[in-house]
Amino acid sequence: MRFITSIIFLLVFSSSIFAQMQRQRAVKDGPVDDIFRIGSLIGMSTVVNLEARNLNSLITHNFGLVSSGIEEFYGLDQNAAVRLGFDYGVTDKLTIGIGRTSVEDNVDFRAKYIVLEQLKSDKMPVQVAIKGDVGINTQKNTQFDDFTFQERLNYFASLMVARKINKQISLQIAPMISHFNTVKIEQTGVVPENTHYGIGLGGRYAFDERKAITFEYLPVIGDRSPGTKNHFAISYEIETGGHVFQMFFMSGKWFTEQHLLARTNTDFFAGDFRLGFNINRVFGL
Amino acid sequence: MKKLFTLLIALVLFSPLQAQSFFAEDGEAVFISKVPLHTFEGSSQNLVGLINLDENILDFYLDLETLDTGNGKRDRDMKLTLETEEFPFAEFYGTLVSPVDLNNSEPQPALAKGTFKIHGEQQEVEIEGTLQPTSEGLLLKANWILNLNDYDIEPPSLLIIKVDENQEINIEILLKPYSEDQ
Repeated sequence: MRFITSIIFLLVFSSSIFAQMQRQRAVKDGPVDDIFRIGSLIGMSTVVNLEARNLNSLITHNFGLVSSGIEEFYGLDQNAAVRLGFDYGVTDKLTIGIGRTSVEDNVDFRAKYIVLEQLKSDKMPVQVAIKGDVGINTQKNTQFDDFTFQERLNYFASLMVARKINKQISLQIAPMISHFNTVKIEQTGVVPENTHYGIGLGGRYAFDERKAITFEYLPVIGDRSPGTKNHFAISYEIETGGHVFQMFFMSGKWFTEQHLLARTNTDFFAGDFRLGFNINRVFGL
Repeated sequence: MKKLFTLLIALVLFSPLQAQSFFAEDGEAVFISKVPLHTFEGSSQNLVGLINLDENILDFYLDLETLDTGNGKRDRDMKLTLETEEFPFAEFYGTLVSPVDLNNSEPQPALAKGTFKIHGEQQEVEIEGTLQPTSEGLLLKANWILNLNDYDIEPPSLLIIKVDENQEINIEILLKPYSEDQ
């Protein structure tokens, strides 16, 4: 009898004990964050896009060859090459951009679209994006004065496939093609290629949420213009609330991928590389 | 003896129905961040809340990954700062100190005391707001200042300028009548 009374007593009071709700995640699956921190590793584009209505201003610099020595202060005394660009997220999957490079006054228009997103659940294990870039050489000097609009155009297209393997490591592979409507014969009897194919390889190792090291390598597959080398670059990346700074060593002086692939003429692994840096600043509009 | 068993069964079966509870999972939570010359805010429409007026209990939580500041990169920075993979929720569990008159449709001052938890740290807090009975349920509005340092959250920086450690939090949620067997 006492036992039953105790149970009743307990029930009466325990029924009024109010347990906390079970916490349930509102977002159970979704795209993987930060496969890469920003839309480009150094010069090579990544599968990452801006979100809708976000604007990224990107200033890219590089200097002369470090191998020029102390007389040229390891390249810093030489003219800097600069690309000033803006990219805009039209939607979460489509980003468009425009930029101007000081070398040959190349103005380029680009677009990148995310075809597939890597999902946290791993139902989609990779992220896939396509990119196109059309550049026009706007330089006015004796070398280009006679060029028509068509002759000044250059193109680039790539298919990027990347995976964030874990919190530290992300890797990307990107078959790519570049084409120049006009190529310059620098040496009699040696004809440069208008079209180059390549396989871009890139990766990122994150030390923590703010700092990472990245690399990119763009080997040409098949025929190539004489004297050109495979582009390589390695970067130290720092995230500082709204900005992504990338300080790097890269082989060529170019910034757009069609030029990186087809016109890099210095060999990183032979010691011919240059210091450079990118400053990314993202604004919400 | 038989009567006692009957009473026992009745208690088990009907005690949950006695509760006067209100629930919603689409409340709005907004935080306002300030740095010199610049203010931005983030919001979520996924605030989950339960108020039990019989027990004067409030239970609220928010999945922090649903916060949106309108800038994707800033959102990712915020998640990193809050370490949302490890600590996905901001939550409050406490008691309603002030009484609520459900027959009065005017906003009534409300004071809640309890534990606020975020980033794996918790503090005892008092939060003031208003409760307003409506034809649909119970409308709760509240705001308070959350000090990031109290919860071991390192205020993020915009270049060299740190975000103010004091964040203004506003919530608004219309809780609808709810029985625990729902």
